[in-house]
Amino acid sequence: MTATTDEVLLASPRSIRWARRRASAADAWRRLRRDRLAMAALFVLLGFIVMALIAPLVSDRADFNAINTGDNPTNRPPTGTFILGTDSLGRSVALQVMWGARISLAVGLAATVLMIGIGVVVGLAAGFFGGWIDALLMRITDWFMVIPFLPLAIVLATILERGVGTIVLVIGITSWPSTARLVRSQVLSVRERLYVDRARALGAGRLHIVGRHILPNVTPLILANTTLAVPIAILTETTLSFLGLGDPTQTSWGGLLESAGTTAVKAGYWWQYLPPGIGIVMVVLAFTVIGRALEEVLDPRLRER
Amino acid sequence: MRAGFVIRKLLGALSTLAFVVVFNFFLFRIVNPNPVDSMFRGRNLTREQLDQITRKFNLDGSKWDQFVGYVQQLLRGDLGLSFKGNRPVATVIGEALWPTVLLVGTSTLLSMIGITIGYRAGWRRGSRFDTASTSFSMVTYSMPEFWVGMVFLGFFSAKLGWFPVGGLEDPGSNATGVAKYLDQLHHMVLPATVLAIAYVGEYMIVARSAMIETLREDYLQLARAKGMREEEVRRRHAVPNARLPVVSLSAINFGFIFSGAIAVETIFSWPGIGQATFLAVRGPDLPMLQGLFLLISATVIVANLIADLLYGKLDPRVLGR
Amino acid sequence: MTPKLWVGLLATAAIGAMAAGAAGSVQAGTTDTVTLTVGLTQDIDSPNVTVGYTVAAYEFWNLQYATLTDKAADDFAIIPGLAESWEGSDDGLTYTYTLREGLKWSDGEPLTADDVVFTVNTSRDQAWFNHSSVTANLTATALDERTVEIVSAVPDPKLPTMDVYILPEHIWAGPAADDITTYDALEGVGSGPFTLKEWKPGQEWTVVANPNYWQGEPAIDQIVFRLYTEGGAMVAALENGELDAANDIPAALFEGLASDDIVTVAGAQGGFTELAMNGMAGGLGDGHPALLDLDVRHAVAMAIDRDALFERVALGIGLPLTVLGVSPLQEWLPEIPEDQRLGYDPAAANALLDAGGYLDTDGDDVREMPDGSQSLIFRYAERSEGTQGAAVRELITGWLTEVGIATEVSVFDDTQLGTAVGAGEYDLFVWGWTPFVDPDPMLSYFTCGQLTTDVESLGYNDANWCSEEYDALYEQQNQELDRDKRIALVHEMITLFHNESTYVVLYHDADTQAYRTDRFEGWLQQPADTGPVIFTNSSPTYFNLAPIDGGGGDDDGGMSTGLLIAIIIGVLIVVVGGGLLVMRSRAGREERE
Repeated sequence: MTATTDEVLLASPRSIRWARRRASAADAWRRLRRDRLAMAALFVLLGFIVMALIAPLVSDRADFNAINTGDNPTNRPPTGTFILGTDSLGRSVALQVMWGARISLAVGLAATVLMIGIGVVVGLAAGFFGGWIDALLMRITDWFMVIPFLPLAIVLATILERGVGTIVLVIGITSWPSTARLVRSQVLSVRERLYVDRARALGAGRLHIVGRHILPNVTPLILANTTLAVPIAILTETTLSFLGLGDPTQTSWGGLLESAGTTAVKAGYWWQYLPPGIGIVMVVLAFTVIGRALEEVLDPRLRER
Repeated sequence: MRAGFVIRKLLGALSTLAFVVVFNFFLFRIVNPNPVDSMFRGRNLTREQLDQITRKFNLDGSKWDQFVGYVQQLLRGDLGLSFKGNRPVATVIGEALWPTVLLVGTSTLLSMIGITIGYRAGWRRGSRFDTASTSFSMVTYSMPEFWVGMVFLGFFSAKLGWFPVGGLEDPGSNATGVAKYLDQLHHMVLPATVLAIAYVGEYMIVARSAMIETLREDYLQLARAKGMREEEVRRRHAVPNARLPVVSLSAINFGFIFSGAIAVETIFSWPGIGQATFLAVRGPDLPMLQGLFLLISATVIVANLIADLLYGKLDPRVLGR
Repeated sequence: MTPKLWVGLLATAAIGAMAAGAAGSVQAGTTDTVTLTVGLTQDIDSPNVTVGYTVAAYEFWNLQYATLTDKAADDFAIIPGLAESWEGSDDGLTYTYTLREGLKWSDGEPLTADDVVFTVNTSRDQAWFNHSSVTANLTATALDERTVEIVSAVPDPKLPTMDVYILPEHIWAGPAADDITTYDALEGVGSGPFTLKEWKPGQEWTVVANPNYWQGEPAIDQIVFRLYTEGGAMVAALENGELDAANDIPAALFEGLASDDIVTVAGAQGGFTELAMNGMAGGLGDGHPALLDLDVRHAVAMAIDRDALFERVALGIGLPLTVLGVSPLQEWLPEIPEDQRLGYDPAAANALLDAGGYLDTDGDDVREMPDGSQSLIFRYAERSEGTQGAAVRELITGWLTEVGIATEVSVFDDTQLGTAVGAGEYDLFVWGWTPFVDPDPMLSYFTCGQLTTDVESLGYNDANWCSEEYDALYEQQNQELDRDKRIALVHEMITLFHNESTYVVLYHDADTQAYRTDRFEGWLQQPADTGPVIFTNSSPTYFNLAPIDGGGGDDDGGMSTGLLIAIIIGVLIVVVGGGLLVMRSRAGREERE
């Protein structure tokens, strides 16, 4: 939608900028909508998020607390009121999966925020300041990138106290390097563009340049990268919980798989280990699909055909 | 390859290794400032004996002295004593090395089939083959490996009994030579398949993107203009250039050879580095974890170095930088 | 990587899989060794008897080392071992043992009184972990090649039982002179029915028959103890014949396991799980002050539904237990009088706490101290080992909230937990013990002398509790030679300990085991009818087992199907691959023309 000449003449730089941003966002959204797979993934993801959010509304944590489930049948396959069956203490698997979604999603998102936060700051600083700061930060990034991330996560989780906070911290600390690298290269390429030079010629300060020029151009890529980082965080949390390093008092999907273990596999209690696994796969897949779609939509390079 | 390039990469790798050694030392010292107590818990040792042991384990003196001592020990190949029965960490790791290399090496090779599939999918972007293989890769990529392992174990082992439930060989096996390797192979089928499924998606996706990138290049048009068939164009020009990121990925993945298998080795009781890590976490057997961590990091560094050098050799553009 | 290379690789893999399927049948015929295979979930921590302390290690030592006196399989009664007879002096302080004739170590060296003297005296001097509770007050002298005199400095009711592992002097004298705990003990020289052949840590350990065993050569040639990190995998291995027996079977799989070929055993050895409260007697650390109040401890005990724990977590397997399990022999355990029992009664617990002034003044459902200084929030340390920790914790912490006590849960591994407990930095934890046959060691753990007062050297007293009365009773029973009197003393000690409620014994830990009946026979329970078959006090089963029908090869019933499938897959791959190859070369030929 185009503005009339009057509107253009009378509009302030800020409103023009926002109009342009809204337009490109709308354009991106329109293109995203055409990708049916991405829409389906978004739908699935929203479904899980809704499930996680309404959990406390349709049930109480006490409903699957072991002291209250003494009268329930144990290790029962899906029947009647227990739509996903029960576990060895009579707790409803369905309830645990619902509440587990909260932890798995929350940890995944929180860890991603931490990971992206650190990565963006480091990448921005390195790319923008250049010189020895860049060299130093890139060395550090390389070092962290080289340290294999699952063993480091395991070691940290072992030596710190078990808990949700630890897991978030551990994942965040071990996974930021790739984001930092990505942001840095974007910053470098943006820096070369003409309007930044022009801005500097006009006397704009550093913060202004970062905030007005670099950040907005880097953001779309960060967004895509974030969406792809969440699955990594969720899978890592799952693996760490499975290895026994998660928070024991919280129900998470990884924790459910850990308590099912090969005992459930051997006993044939498929409802105890298939639903959490399938949940993980679906959420991770959804994020991955959306992330790749976003990448295609937002990355100007990939758009050319 | 220019000597300067190689030297720079080597120095880089060495400095990263040095960082890892320092990091490793301080990380574990913070956690466990006095390992002697943990190791000798419940035993009635005199003050003298404790002091003697402390000196033997290089735990007296300032942090700097301890660090120097630690490095000296490392250079001698001494990684300390495991909490479990005081066995040398280096020995335990040595025993666990081959099973892991065997398992993960085999599954990495198997999963490289993803490369061929990826090339084909990239070449025929948008075709049904492309959609099908991309979907398959994304789905397998999203599955936690230990979960796939659990499902396979439950079905093929516990339920159908086609494959043994775990371990490297049949218990008490006296087999040698060919029979022994065949036995190991039989035990390896399930875990290797699980790992291959976990990795194949990654190879496929990378190969596919590499191919797509390459397709945009101009020299392909030139080749077509010269009258080459599609088939040849693909084989002689596209594939070799699409190889670069894949080579890079392969070398780096090989570096993750030790960490990737932790959960799968545990599920299948495969006596490799992964299971050793899992058992060490349960102690926690800190000297063991420290040694494992160092080993894995060093492997990744070396693999990265090889990847960089290979990349330099294959892509003349890189050397210029 | 060309497609051709691919096909080649896949074909190789296919052939490999096929051959692997054949591997089983190839192997079954190659050896005539009679092998017993046992599955377990815990590894030996060290084969060195002065270092190790796991149950698996004890099983190994039971096999490799004979003792002067042995224990009957059905009731632990004392029977001759390496010593064929013994005589005691009138005052009961001196015993003279006569060794059998012609005793030899597995390497052929003669086993003489010198070995016994070496073991007893050195273990006393160096305070060997697993020996010193028996030998601390003993002095051994060799009267001649086959006669040993053992003198006790104080009256010792345990004598003439001498069940410490006798070590070969010609092997151990060297390490003992230096630092015996660093000796790797892999040489496999012993006097028991089997000796160590190989230890692959984290995988398995193998023992082979000892031809010089004094009772004769075992009917089995070798035993392999295989380690499983996953209980479910171990059960599957038992069911498909890879294992002949297994220990520590997950409770959930135990019930459904019994079949025509498999017998399950819920062995009672007196082991138990307890909830321990910080008695703060060691003076270290920072236990919650409320725990010093006996009423609070009673309230905690009454808040817990032990029957429910036994039914839901232990699945009712084994026998109920509410007092300190000092021995598998029931005679040592008293019956607590009705009015002193602390059964499940949350109402009474609440009443007790109310009466004590622990009221919830701020409406957050958690009680506070009478002076309002702090809330009743107890730190709960959960063990990460074993499968029951999480279930027990969820139930106990839930019940405690019902009486207004909140908990903060941390998970610890055994090493970390041991350290935290030693330093007194805990309020509640759950752990377990397996006693010996004689109650003395177990009782000694709770004497004042075993308190940890210095983190540098940890004691056994993890109840962190001290009582002069208890200590006095302990000294008495330690030297009381009249059995009935001794039993009465022990009953008094256990009742005292129970009423002090620093330990709340939750339930009896049965050893969940199972064995196959189709390959070996002669499985013995120790004690008879109620005990486990393997990992027992003196492990008599192994020597008693014999193969059925002389069979002994491995049973690979499942592999023929695997072989078939592998062949089918292999053929398919080769056909498809070959087809692709052919198509490609034909196309290539067309292009070139």
